[in-house]
Amino acid sequence: MRGRHFVYDLVEDTNIVKKSDIKIILTQFVQGAGTTGDILSLRPYKAYQDFLLPGFAVYASPENMAKYKVDEEKPKVEDMYSSPYVQLTMGQLSRLVLQITMSKSEPWVLEPWHIKASFRKTGFIVPEYAIEMPPVQIKGPDLSLQEKEFYITVTINKREKVNVRCRIHHWATGLDRLPWVEEHWKKPVEPLIPEQASVLEKMQK
Amino acid sequence: MASSRLQATARQLSKTFKKKTRFDIGIASELPPAYKKFWREWKVLKPAAVHFVAQEGKWRRDELTGETLPIQNIPIPIKYPAEIHEGIWGGEAVVKGFQKRDPQRRRVPHYWVPVLKRTVVRSEVLNTHLSVTVTERTIKLINDHYGFDHYLLKTPACDLVSMLALKLKKQILTELMNGCPRYAHDPAKQKEIYKEYKTYLSSYTPEEIEWYGLSWYEALTKVAKQKEAENKPIPLKKVYRKNLVEKLKAAGLEENKGSADEISTTTSWLSKMNPFGKKDEA
Repeated sequence: MRGRHFVYDLVEDTNIVKKSDIKIILTQFVQGAGTTGDILSLRPYKAYQDFLLPGFAVYASPENMAKYKVDEEKPKVEDMYSSPYVQLTMGQLSRLVLQITMSKSEPWVLEPWHIKASFRKTGFIVPEYAIEMPPVQIKGPDLSLQEKEFYITVTINKREKVNVRCRIHHWATGLDRLPWVEEHWKKPVEPLIPEQASVLEKMQK
Repeated sequence: MASSRLQATARQLSKTFKKKTRFDIGIASELPPAYKKFWREWKVLKPAAVHFVAQEGKWRRDELTGETLPIQNIPIPIKYPAEIHEGIWGGEAVVKGFQKRDPQRRRVPHYWVPVLKRTVVRSEVLNTHLSVTVTERTIKLINDHYGFDHYLLKTPACDLVSMLALKLKKQILTELMNGCPRYAHDPAKQKEIYKEYKTYLSSYTPEEIEWYGLSWYEALTKVAKQKEAENKPIPLKKVYRKNLVEKLKAAGLEENKGSADEISTTTSWLSKMNPFGKKDEA
C-alpha cells in the first residue's frame, strides 16, 4: 500500500450534527421543572448535566416507564404560579437589599413612589399599586434611620407576594456627604420596626 | 512421479502445520481459557464502524454499467495513542492519513484526532460519580444505553478499547457478583440495583470475571505469581528439623524427655550475666 491509498475525505462530522432530545422521568420535585413521575423532553446536555447526574431524574427507558408508572397522556396539572419566571423573580427580589436614597437636607415622608424609583434604579420596574408600605410612617431626614432596615411587600402579577429588604441612605453633596462605606449591603444592621424583626431574621441574605 | 509425491507430502504437511500464536509461547501457554476468551473479545473481534460509513449487504450493482461489485467495508487503519487508556473515547481514536486539499497540489499529511472533553459519569452499581475524559460519542452512547453501567456492560471489549473502561467494567462485574456490597446500608436499593443488572452476569463465570480486563503483561504476571505460590520452595532447615524430630521420636520417648530436661536445667552463660550490676560484679 502506498501513501496515495490513505487519502481520506471528511464525509460527516458527528460532533456538530444536532442531536435529538432525550426523554427523562423525574424522581423528585424539581423547582421549575415538575414533580415525581413527570416526563421531560430536553436537550441531551441539559438533561444529562442538570437532571441525570445529580440524580433528579432517570432515563425514560421502557423498564423505568413501567417502574415509575408514567402516563404520557396524563393532563398537566394547572401551574401554581402566574408565570414560569415568577420563581426566578421572587428569588431575586428576596435576595435584594434595596437602597432608598433620600435627601439629607429637605424634609420628606417615605411614599410608594420613592420605592418605585429606587427599584427602577436597581433595574426592577415595579408599579406603585404592587408596593405595600411598612405599617409605620417613616419620616426624615433622620440620621438614626441610616443604619436600620425594614421590609416592604411587593406583589408580582397581582398574585405572588415577596418581601424586599430596604435600607434608607441619606444623600447630600459637598461636605455634608456621608462617608463611603465598602460593601455596605453586606453589613448586618438592626431592624427599624420591632414587629418586622422576626421576618427579617428569616429572610435569606 | 517423485515430484508429485513430494508435492503431496508438502500439501499434507502444510495442512497439519499450525503456526505458533502468542498463546503457545513460553508462560503464555499456561493462560486459562477464561483469559483467552477476554483476549478474543478485546483484540480479535471486529470493532464497530466508527471512522467510516459502513454499507449494508454483500453486493451492490454499479448504476452505470450494471456490474455486480462486492461490498467490502474495510476498516480504516487507526492509531491508538497511550492516552486512550486514560479516558473512555467510545471507540474513537486517531486516524492518520492524507488530505487532498487542492487537485493541483501535493497531498498533505493529516491526523484526525477526536475532540476530547472532561465530564462526570455516574455509575449506579459502584454508587459513585467519576470524572473522566470522554468524547461526544461516548455521551451519546451512554444516553442511548440508558446509563453508564448499561453502556459498559453491553459493549464488547473491542469497542471499549481503553484500559480504564475495561477495569471499570471488571469492577462493576465483581461488584455484581458479590451482590452490591456498596449498598449494604440500604437493602431495598441493593436488591433493586442487583435485579436491574443481574442479567449481565449470566454471560460470565466467576473465573472469567477474575481474568477480565487484564492487559497481556498483567495476565502473564498473574499466571507467574500463581505458579510461584503453588510450588513455593520449603527451606531445607525446616525439612531437616522435621526429620530430626521424627527420628528422636522413633528412638524412644523416655530418652527424649530426659534430654529435654537436661537442656532446660543447664544454665547458659547468658543467664549469669547481670548488665545492671557493678563492673567488678559482672
